[in-house]
Amino acid sequence: MISFGTYSLIAALFFTLLSMGLFLSGLARNNVRLVQAGKRGLLSAAIATTLASVALAWLFLTDNFSVEYVASYSDRALPLFYKITAFWAGQKGSLLFWAWVLSVFIALVIFNNRREADDRNTPYIYLVLAGTLAFFLFLLCAISSPFETLGFMPRDGQGLNPMLQNPGMVFHPPILFFGYIGFTIPFAYAVAAMITGNTGADWIRKTRVWNVLPWIFLSIGIILGGQWAYVELGWGGYWAWDPVENASFIPWLVSTAFIHTAIIQERRGVMKVWNMVLIQLTFLLCIFGTYLVRSGILQSVHDFGATGLGGYFLVFMIVALIGGIYLLAESYNEFKTPGSVESYLSRESTFLFNNVILLALAFATLLGTVFPIISEAVTGNKLTVGQPFFNQVNTPLFLLLVLLTGICPLIGWRKASVSNLRRNFLRPALTALLAGVIMAISGIRELYPLLAFTLSAFVGATIVQEYITAIRSRKKLTGEASAAAAVKLLWKMRRRYGGHIVHFGLAIMVIGIAASSAYKLESQGTLRQGESLSIGKYELKYEKFRKYDKFNRTIYAAQLGVFVDGKRIDEMEAERRYYINAKQPTTEVALRSTLIEDLYVTMPGIGRGNEITLKVAVNPLLIWVWLGSTLMVIGGILAIIPARRKAACSE
Amino acid sequence: MQRITFWFVPPLLLVAILLMPICSCAELTQTEVSESLICYACPGEPLNIDRCGGGDRMRADITRLLNQGKSKPEILDYFVAQFGDSILTTVPKKGFNLVAYTGPFIALLVGIPLALLIIRRWGSAGRRQAVERGATEPTVTLDEQTRLKIEKELADLDEEG
Repeated sequence: MISFGTYSLIAALFFTLLSMGLFLSGLARNNVRLVQAGKRGLLSAAIATTLASVALAWLFLTDNFSVEYVASYSDRALPLFYKITAFWAGQKGSLLFWAWVLSVFIALVIFNNRREADDRNTPYIYLVLAGTLAFFLFLLCAISSPFETLGFMPRDGQGLNPMLQNPGMVFHPPILFFGYIGFTIPFAYAVAAMITGNTGADWIRKTRVWNVLPWIFLSIGIILGGQWAYVELGWGGYWAWDPVENASFIPWLVSTAFIHTAIIQERRGVMKVWNMVLIQLTFLLCIFGTYLVRSGILQSVHDFGATGLGGYFLVFMIVALIGGIYLLAESYNEFKTPGSVESYLSRESTFLFNNVILLALAFATLLGTVFPIISEAVTGNKLTVGQPFFNQVNTPLFLLLVLLTGICPLIGWRKASVSNLRRNFLRPALTALLAGVIMAISGIRELYPLLAFTLSAFVGATIVQEYITAIRSRKKLTGEASAAAAVKLLWKMRRRYGGHIVHFGLAIMVIGIAASSAYKLESQGTLRQGESLSIGKYELKYEKFRKYDKFNRTIYAAQLGVFVDGKRIDEMEAERRYYINAKQPTTEVALRSTLIEDLYVTMPGIGRGNEITLKVAVNPLLIWVWLGSTLMVIGGILAIIPARRKAACSE
Repeated sequence: MQRITFWFVPPLLLVAILLMPICSCAELTQTEVSESLICYACPGEPLNIDRCGGGDRMRADITRLLNQGKSKPEILDYFVAQFGDSILTTVPKKGFNLVAYTGPFIALLVGIPLALLIIRRWGSAGRRQAVERGATEPTVTLDEQTRLKIEKELADLDEEG
């Protein structure tokens, strides 16, 4: 199976390089059949990469520890579930997973376009895709093969890092990879459009799903990562502004900007050059994120060993950057178009400002992430840029973004009249003002939380107002009942309302972030059995202690009764786990989550006579962060569900 | 009355829900201080995340200083005196570090006028096009029925989009 995997990878690289040759020949000879043969070569590469992935999975499942990668990330006691996830636990497996997903995505693009005639963009699109795939396959074949053997069979493997033995490991890394990899598709279309000088919005229309789908994957990946970090002690809560976390957030911000301006190009035919810049930037930042994680140039709590691959990613990134700048400079005059916006007060303008803020946020996050390197190069002093810095710099920018999210739907395309603005702004502004005043009266004095709640109320009110107005118009036009009109509107105009749901989710998430950051309660204490610890309205009573073995770990668990006003309302169990092959114990969080607040308990220490040390926190409205982010994903999915082709088209 | 209820009850409910869990936490906690510090034994790892023995000693120091009634800046100064600025998670606002603080806002100061300039250019092009259109296309006043028909067709177009 080891040889099978190795030869499959070599075959995949061969087919990919062959395809590139066929595309180049097709271009040189203007021969469509060569281009079609190239596509078949890419399909063969996808099959070969799939076989290599199956081989690696099989080596994990059969505990073949003669393979260095398997021995490093698995052991006999590891549950089956985690043996599969160990596939992407290390760098070599992640690279194979990346190559496999990219090859499958390319196959999907070929399948989707099977009914469309090849145009002059086609060979360039597949050349870019094949070039990217070839880069990863080259690394796998020549530099970092997951099928490398030790030369002997150890009795057992080293096991999987206990922190990675969490259900989050199943979904978070692969989905995040789907996001990173997915942006290769619109990037390839954009490069092809630049080379051929195809200045229309065709490439944006054709990649409409591929523009949003990676964004959805990236969003889901970030959310799942946040949830995992929240329950995994040692990762600093759901968001710690760690370099690895930032590496996923920066392309998310830039791709969000791209999704907005792509709409403008489709509708108004402007911002063609800007969209080219944004999609290239998104792709480069995805590669940059991978470079950051693998180069070891920055320290991260999510870092599981730096590799020697940083240099290769850097070279790939530089080639893509220089190539992109060159193509942009070459095609600039063709893409430059006069606009047709009549006023500063137009939706196009708000989209542009939203872009400025999103990019400023991305820049601030990038600058903070790489500042330790810059600082060391300039002053010789390697600083650590942590959470307080990012909160200080990014919070005002983020609040500005929320404000623009509220303003945007209130302003029409092209030009808004003053009366129109007055009519649209009055109710949301009054709602926000009322929310702000009531909160200020009730004791919220901190500026940022106050602004966050007020602006979220504003965003919510604008969306509700727009929806109700649209329902009324539909009722007037069709005579439908309110509920039917509401549902049909949502479904038939899902692109628009998908966007609104994303924004509504953002408002809810902002409320959750503001409340859980600003009004968090914390307490700590050491308890003997029968003793209690109070926090806010809660009293936690240490009731029972037990020790037991499960799978590959020994668990020490403390049962805690949760009391409110002397009444027992629930029980929680905080754990410390000792894994086989792990040097240190891990602490498992006990969580009681409601719509109002999370009761968050950890047990950092166990003393003599089963005396326990507890760290307890009450995080207000934290679940709103998950609810809001889930709504954002639902909105994104709704927006990309394609419309059925109407029979009327043929009439 | 119905309209007032419609527009004001939801925000009031929202506010009521928001207020429920909120209470102020005036007392400075060990976590609040450790968020601003890096573990001296594990470079790059914030003290609130770190779990090593070196971190335990720093946390014990924080608890001791808190019990002595020291404020957060005083405790941070205590650690900076021992380990230098690199012990802080917040970059001190001085010297070259100001680049990190001002960089994003300078970008914004450049970005916003640039955006205004672009909109202005769009605007002049738009006005030119409008003038050209105006010279060739007659102005039409729509009756209510035609307006509704156009709205419906635009909505259908949107559905297809």
